[in-house]
Amino acid sequence: MTTPRTDSPTAEIEVEDLVVRYGAVTAAGPVSFTVRQGEQLTLLGPSGCGKTTTLRAIAGLERPAAGAIRIGGETMYDEARGIHIPAERRGLSMVFQSYAIWPHMTVFENVAYGLRVRNAGAAEIDQKVRHALDLVKMGAYATRNASQLSGGQQQRVAVARACAFSPKVLLFDEPLSNLDAKLRAEMRIELRELQHRLGVTSVYVTHDLEEALAMSDRIIVMRGGHIEQAGPAADIYNYPRTAFVADFVGSANLISGRLRPDLARDGLVALEADGGNILYGDPHGRTPGPEPTMSVRTVHLQLRARSSGAAINEWPVQIRRAIFLGDLTQVHVDWGGRELVIRQTAAMPPAEGMIVYLSIDPAHCVLLEPGEALQVEPAPQQEVRPVLANLPTE
Amino acid sequence: MSSALARTGVPPGRAVSAQMVSMAVVIAVVGLFVLYPVFYLLQAAFDVGAPNVRPPTAYGLDNFSALGKYWEIMVNTLIVTFAATFMALVFGFLTAWILTRTNVPFQRTLEQLMAVPYYVTPLLGALAWNFLGAPESGFINQVWRGIGGDGALVDITTAMGIAWVMALFEGSVAFVMIGAVMKSMDPALEEASQVVGAGRWRTMLRVTLPLVAPGVLGAAIFVFAEMLGSFSAALVLGTPARFYVITTAIYQFVSQYPPRLPLAAALGVSLFAVMFAMLYLYRRVTANRSFVTISGKAFRPRTMDMGRLRWLLFAICAAYVFLSVALPIATLVYASVQKLAVALPSADNFTFDNYRTAFSLNAVRSALSNSLVLGLVTATVGVALTGMLAWIIQRSRLPGRGVLEYIVMFPQAVPRLVFAFGMMWAWLAFPVPIYGTFWILLIAYLTVFLPLGVRTISGVIMQLDKSLEECGQVCGASWGYRLRTIIAPLLRPGILAAWLLIFVASVRELGASILLMGPDSKVMTPAIAEAFFSTSSELTAAMALIQTVVVAIAMVLFTLITRKASRVGVGP
Repeated sequence: MTTPRTDSPTAEIEVEDLVVRYGAVTAAGPVSFTVRQGEQLTLLGPSGCGKTTTLRAIAGLERPAAGAIRIGGETMYDEARGIHIPAERRGLSMVFQSYAIWPHMTVFENVAYGLRVRNAGAAEIDQKVRHALDLVKMGAYATRNASQLSGGQQQRVAVARACAFSPKVLLFDEPLSNLDAKLRAEMRIELRELQHRLGVTSVYVTHDLEEALAMSDRIIVMRGGHIEQAGPAADIYNYPRTAFVADFVGSANLISGRLRPDLARDGLVALEADGGNILYGDPHGRTPGPEPTMSVRTVHLQLRARSSGAAINEWPVQIRRAIFLGDLTQVHVDWGGRELVIRQTAAMPPAEGMIVYLSIDPAHCVLLEPGEALQVEPAPQQEVRPVLANLPTE
Repeated sequence: MSSALARTGVPPGRAVSAQMVSMAVVIAVVGLFVLYPVFYLLQAAFDVGAPNVRPPTAYGLDNFSALGKYWEIMVNTLIVTFAATFMALVFGFLTAWILTRTNVPFQRTLEQLMAVPYYVTPLLGALAWNFLGAPESGFINQVWRGIGGDGALVDITTAMGIAWVMALFEGSVAFVMIGAVMKSMDPALEEASQVVGAGRWRTMLRVTLPLVAPGVLGAAIFVFAEMLGSFSAALVLGTPARFYVITTAIYQFVSQYPPRLPLAAALGVSLFAVMFAMLYLYRRVTANRSFVTISGKAFRPRTMDMGRLRWLLFAICAAYVFLSVALPIATLVYASVQKLAVALPSADNFTFDNYRTAFSLNAVRSALSNSLVLGLVTATVGVALTGMLAWIIQRSRLPGRGVLEYIVMFPQAVPRLVFAFGMMWAWLAFPVPIYGTFWILLIAYLTVFLPLGVRTISGVIMQLDKSLEECGQVCGASWGYRLRTIIAPLLRPGILAAWLLIFVASVRELGASILLMGPDSKVMTPAIAEAFFSTSSELTAAMALIQTVVVAIAMVLFTLITRKASRVGVGP
């Protein structure tokens, strides 16, 4: 069964040209990526983008239509060679969105399941289950009936169960999406710490940007079954490749216009927006098309009462609306006939109608790759999977 | 199966092959049980060759065209079925509306009582109503003549009488189906109508009725199909007066001498073609429900305050339960302790001889214990078989599991009598001699109750989050291990419910048993029907009551045992 490693020697999971179909519908693919040993990778995207499908294919819960999957160097699936190892013999572990805590067992038995399957001795089971429960701070609940736990507790037990038999790979299918916002923020940090402590390779699926940024070394943004962009969390945030990524990953102003090569200077690209304003941006090695789009994060725009005297990227603008959001204030300004959104922490509460100076550091104006017209599906706030679902939702 | 194995491309492994082998065995068994008799039924129906030569020497439609002579039977069947369906729907709709949408008193008690008519079989009802409404000896008519009336006030042996008895029993089924629709309706839909200014009756006519219409239509089709295939009421009430419907005519053709088997087969195939079409229609009606009334949210349907009228509504529900349960049972008890059943009690007519005779009859004693043993075995094997099938249909990735579902649900569309006819024919030709033994009864029960078991267990499987099982798989558990530690324990309630349903249905089975039991393999319900035709109706009443009490005791015992087991049984 062992095949020579084909990718980097530290690749734990290799996904190659994977395609998953449900009947005639292609749910994902072709997608290819690798996850290094000990790396935390997140698949991020709106519902229906194929992220859960990809995860389930890695787990062995979906039978892909084409491609190959290798885990720890062993081929788990290869359509061309007719190999499809069932999930129970892939030796990985998974935390499900619904937690899937078995209601007819105690917390201890839930966590011990993977060890019992592997015929571990009683002493080993006891020691490993206690260790796993302590990791998630559920040690006191071992004898509890699983059906008596709250949502957050079930979530912890699900994590303990997934780690108890020391799998090399952990898969997470939106494990936090059914928790309330505050608990979600807490668990995010805890899960991240746990992953670091265990040093386990993990693939995490979510539609929540903050979760993705907090949980992962690397993010793969998916859309319509394909990989839109892959890279370290900061790169995805700072240098979105397409309008879709810019918009899905945090809030951004997308500014389109005509390329003005005649005005280019200092390695910057100049763009004439529809209203006539000239915006300078950093191409980041990308070649601009004739009608490029630039993305500017709402937090990267700055408002000043007075002009800084900068030669480029500064304009007097009129404030249309200022909305107090607590941690931030969201300001809408009129910029050459179109609206730009600025989020700032500034103490100055701008009055509506006021004229102020807007400036943008060209380094934060990211030139997007030319592509199809922008059509962003809204990211759902909360995905609730129906209990009766017979087909996977993605 | 081997092609399915090849298609999944799984290298040979112990866990997978155990699953594949189990699934292959179950599917092969079900295919054999269901399709083999159907094949022989069809063969017999189109057999126009030399009589008693098998395989047939010629095929044709002669048997079907010969049915034209029996048009009267078709007309009878249609009259009985339409009348019974209409009455059952009226009972079902009225009681469902009263119990879900009004503030009727004792609503919960009434709702529980509404299930009881289902357990009082149409056979029991027919025997009882025969005592009440027979034109000469019926209690009602005796009293009628006693107070100076002339002739018969009621005649239960007519088409309307048979339809009445069938409707009393089936009304409870219609109630469950229509009640479910009414319960699942979001009250906001009605409130929205009232908010925009529509009155209560206008809301009812323009919103409520159109919303429940598909559900009622579905129930109507389902009940109609059931009535078409029903047998016992027409057998007890119609046959003595030479009033035949299709099912009793088939029985007559098969059991008379000489039997007219090709004609019976053609009649059976025609009946099952119509029922199949009806049930297909039913599936279409209930599947394409464009009216999404079930939103998954929990809500209590709004109830109307009926004022004093609510006591009238209470009386309607109580009357239904009285006519379908209390009156028949009381009548049978009363008749069974009389030498000759008459309306007015007298001391010298009182006797326990009927019970003494019933218990002393060897046929009854062996038939009763045979029925119980068969019921136990059928239920136990049945839940294993239907549990596997339900899992395969709901959860496996097996190609062609949709076809499997159709095969499993097939017996639903075939009246049990017709199915038994096909089996009789099929297993006579089978190289292993099982005809006339318990084995053929066991196979018949397992086959005809496939839909019952699969539907019951599927209902529970569908409510289980799929990831409960997937999680076990990812944890490394093989299929067999998951089955033992996760699937079976979680399905326990469904399995127990299915066990009880199959047990009760088997013990009381008539249509299939009456054709398939042999002289050494008597079972209870056909023995009761035979006693009705060959001995006194008072003795028959005693026998029917003995069976009812034994089944009730078995149900109570089962409930007690499983409740105790579930209290003690903690841990894997």
